Amino acid sequence: MNSAGANRVGRNRAGWALSAFVLLSLAPLIYMARVSLGVGNSLPIAPSDWWGGGFSLDHYRAIGPGSGMGRFALNSLVVTGIAVPLQILLSAAAGHALARGRIRAQGLYLGLATAFLILPRQVTLVPLYLLFAKLGLLDTYAGLILPHLADPFGVLFMAHYYQTMSPELEEAARTDGWSPGAIFWRIVLPLSGPGLAVVGVNGFLTTWNAFLHPLVLTTSESMRTLPVGLALFAQSEHSVDWGALLAGSTLATAPVVLAFLLFQRQIVEGLLQGSGR
Amino acid sequence: MRSRSFLGLLPWSLCFAVFGLVPLLAALLLSFYFMNPLRPDLTHWVGAANYARALGSPAFWHALRTTAIFVVGTLPVTLLLAYIVAALLGRLRRGEAFFRAAIFFPATLSMVVIALIFKSLYAEQGLLNGWLEALGSPPVHWLQDPRLALPSIMAMDVWASVGYYAILILAGRKTLPVEQLEAARLEGMRTLEIERRIILPHVKPVLLFVVLLNTVRSFQIFIEVFVLTRGGPLDSTLTLVYHLYERAFYHFEMGYACAIAYLLLLLVGAILLVQRRLVARAPGEIPRASAVTQAPVEAPAL
Repeated sequence: MNSAGANRVGRNRAGWALSAFVLLSLAPLIYMARVSLGVGNSLPIAPSDWWGGGFSLDHYRAIGPGSGMGRFALNSLVVTGIAVPLQILLSAAAGHALARGRIRAQGLYLGLATAFLILPRQVTLVPLYLLFAKLGLLDTYAGLILPHLADPFGVLFMAHYYQTMSPELEEAARTDGWSPGAIFWRIVLPLSGPGLAVVGVNGFLTTWNAFLHPLVLTTSESMRTLPVGLALFAQSEHSVDWGALLAGSTLATAPVVLAFLLFQRQIVEGLLQGSGR
Repeated sequence: MRSRSFLGLLPWSLCFAVFGLVPLLAALLLSFYFMNPLRPDLTHWVGAANYARALGSPAFWHALRTTAIFVVGTLPVTLLLAYIVAALLGRLRRGEAFFRAAIFFPATLSMVVIALIFKSLYAEQGLLNGWLEALGSPPVHWLQDPRLALPSIMAMDVWASVGYYAILILAGRKTLPVEQLEAARLEGMRTLEIERRIILPHVKPVLLFVVLLNTVRSFQIFIEVFVLTRGGPLDSTLTLVYHLYERAFYHFEMGYACAIAYLLLLLVGAILLVQRRLVARAPGEIPRASAVTQAPVEAPAL
């Protein structure tokens, strides 16, 4: 019989099994944080090292302002800080135009954008490198930011968002003689918060975590972003400085944790709809 | 009206054209050239020679094979674990939000960070070898042994992707009407029977989607290899994209690298075509971003 009691037992078991999965999925991160807070350069191995073995902020001091890692973090902040607001604006404007306007090639636009979302981005790597080399954009912030502005996810997401949003207010404003610019800035944008949050937080994740393009488009150490700097730092020396490396990794993870805590719903929605590939 | 809409579309269109479409087409063109940026004077048209070279190159086939092993090895494990986690999450009555968040979180992490953590776990003096030592067994060279390097990367990839696919599958489960489940329960069906006869058929489109998405993603793996093994030891972890990267940026064979890129594009395109056949979309609406990937799920109400 399928009594309520049996069901509760089943649910309890589900809870225990999930706890094991949660532990597995979070343990590597806890380990990262633990090593970053440790002393010296050896990796803590035995359980006793986890709790004992000493805590310190030495590794964080080593990667603080003025260090190479500090510079990488600054670069990541600049690139993300400029790219994401621009992404949000471009996506809102283009998404709105596609949803509302009678654009002849609308189908073509959407088709191209969708195709771009799934095809391997690595295909554009070599031409972008050659183009940026020719334009003198290698090793510049502009070169690190511009490729992110071509991301079609936000445009597609916002086009769909505006299609499901009633145009009544905008039409009323138009009959009142508002200019299209005023309508966009003062009516459309303020009503786009939930959609733009999805675009913004997913844009943040893809920009902050981006690796292949920043790797290829920077040649000098001082222009590396945090992921690129970390990956190359791990290979530069014969013996790896695990403490500093995982302190840098923790530094790179902290903003992601914060974004996740604040915008989990938006992140899930974005990922389910094809961003973050 | 038309010109005004055009204004809103213009900035993104420009960026998309210059940093998206043009490079895409330029790569196709370049794939028919010999091109070394250090010797621009030697650039010349070679026809399909780059493609012929790739298809005749042991390294290319080796990279393709490595990538295929990666896909075939990770996919079933990831799928099974993700399905189990989703099923367990679906059975929870309380605390689902916490568990879901904790399990999904790794999907938002930088792959570089994930790879660095695992590099420390796999290290000679790392945690895994420490445990082995405590059990009295000799240390294992996880990333230096040609037989173990690829499986070690695959294990990491499974760890990194289970949460993401579990949430996808969970979203698919949630679209099943509660009444249907209740009815089955009233009929006296047991939990496993409900799972097999009602839920599994219902989430089948999602599972198919997960299979194809995971395949397409696996064909593009690069960061894992770059951080952990650099394609080694003995090319045992040389994947397609890493091969492309090496050709382009160590050997400066830009034309050849573009040919590899287009072969990759063709492969991924073929996989997607198969998928398009298998999963149909409701006609007549603006495709969602997911429509390409044809996700048969809506974002769940969380």
